[in-house]
Amino acid sequence: MPSTIKVEIKRQSNPDAPATTEKFEVPYRSGMNITSLLGEIALNPVDVSGRATTPITYDSNCLEEICGSCAMLINGKASMACSALVDKLTGPNKDQTITLAPLSKFPIVRDLAVDRSVLFENLKKVKAWVPIDGSYDLGAGPKQAPQIQEKRYPLSNCISCTICMEVCPQFNDATGFVGAATIAQAKLFNLDPSGAVLKEERLRALAGDGGIQECGFAQNCVQACPKQLPLTEAISDMGRDVFIQQVKDLFAR
Amino acid sequence: MATAAPPAPPAAPQLRGVQPLRAGEGHSFFWRKLHSLTGIVPIGAFLVEHIVSNYEIVNGPLAYAKQVLFLNSLPLVRVLEWVFIFIPLAYHALYGVFIAIRGRSNVNVYPWAGNWMYLSQRITGLIAFFYIIQHLYRQRFTGVSLPEHPGAAFAKVQHELANPWMLAIYVIAMIATTWHFSYGVWLFAAKWGITPGDKARKKFGWVCGLGGAALCLMGLISIYAVVTAPPAPEDVMPEQPGITLLKPSTPPNSTNPTQPGAVR
Repeated sequence: MPSTIKVEIKRQSNPDAPATTEKFEVPYRSGMNITSLLGEIALNPVDVSGRATTPITYDSNCLEEICGSCAMLINGKASMACSALVDKLTGPNKDQTITLAPLSKFPIVRDLAVDRSVLFENLKKVKAWVPIDGSYDLGAGPKQAPQIQEKRYPLSNCISCTICMEVCPQFNDATGFVGAATIAQAKLFNLDPSGAVLKEERLRALAGDGGIQECGFAQNCVQACPKQLPLTEAISDMGRDVFIQQVKDLFAR
Repeated sequence: MATAAPPAPPAAPQLRGVQPLRAGEGHSFFWRKLHSLTGIVPIGAFLVEHIVSNYEIVNGPLAYAKQVLFLNSLPLVRVLEWVFIFIPLAYHALYGVFIAIRGRSNVNVYPWAGNWMYLSQRITGLIAFFYIIQHLYRQRFTGVSLPEHPGAAFAKVQHELANPWMLAIYVIAMIATTWHFSYGVWLFAAKWGITPGDKARKKFGWVCGLGGAALCLMGLISIYAVVTAPPAPEDVMPEQPGITLLKPSTPPNSTNPTQPGAVR
């Protein structure tokens, strides 16, 4: 068993600063994950050459893969830091250096923390909510059949980590693609008996520039999703619904 | 009555990085869907027709010439050619290049099957793009004009493929084009919501794979047949200058001299 873990972290002190790489060697404990490793560095922020540095900035909250905030590039691949186990990242001989970097497609705030507002903006654009605000008590909502619940439950597991967007070859500056998470949430709320009143608006929104048509079906989203959302199925279903809505609008509006 | 206007929502600060969805704005949905549809009809349908027609080359120069003659005898054939082949093909090709250059392939980081297929669809599309430009230039618009001389078709193809480099280009392009088409059909079904389920996509993957392989094999057999055939005559349906059709003459006792040949 190794006594230390070697880790290399891409750092940036502010959004406009140049990126640098710092190397650390952290005492090994069994069962560590990347967030506990970063916590270990924060306890003693000294790099491998003994030079004092600042603790690493990163987003995290729940530490159990449910809040979606700690997504980063771990050994180059987008993953959740809290569920990334150190023992599985150091290679067969447990001596390889772990590399950490911020997600590459989002503006950097500092170190491993990135600004993922674009997902929030996209969710607002497709009205990913159930409209229940009123000036009076609207009473109980319509009943939801178990068959609908079963379709919706997997989609409701989305934690907004943006990994599906990070790994997508079509999610970039040139296309401004909306990404799989937003499309899946639009389907989730279209399936809701109360949320369905906004169905047509969601479908029209998704036909805008950067909408569902930009999907290239590389299927990386569904491979990388830490919560195993049926993202390709959602894109396929919504692709049909968006198209049908466009045809209806062409003839009926 | 509310007298005070609700406070204006704070203006969203301009985000750095990838921009949010332009909900309901622009026409890229139409153009992208048109690209997708033209790949199936008419271009995909034409590709199948082209490979099936070319398979007649296996039956020798005369059979091939008759097939070329048949196709060029279709009513309004030049209109059909432009409306259902050249114009959609040009659109599909140019928009396809536009799509390809805006993608950021990342198979080096995420070497997954679907991601490789994403890249392959762009590479095979670009191969087909450059191949079809030279194919149209050399086989349709220069050299012996096959619509006027269908009998020269076999010899024209045979001369072209006598060059081993050209032969290699044709073999590569045959594989690339049928690959692009069969995966394109699969993508069409997936993206238009025809095969949303994982099982449906997997099953349809077999259908597209086998269909594409069969099409590719037919194309490669046609290439093999024309390359290994004995040298064909330059034109198996030459114009025959010795034979002139007789003008119908007005027979004696004709009741209608304005319609020669019509005897009542």
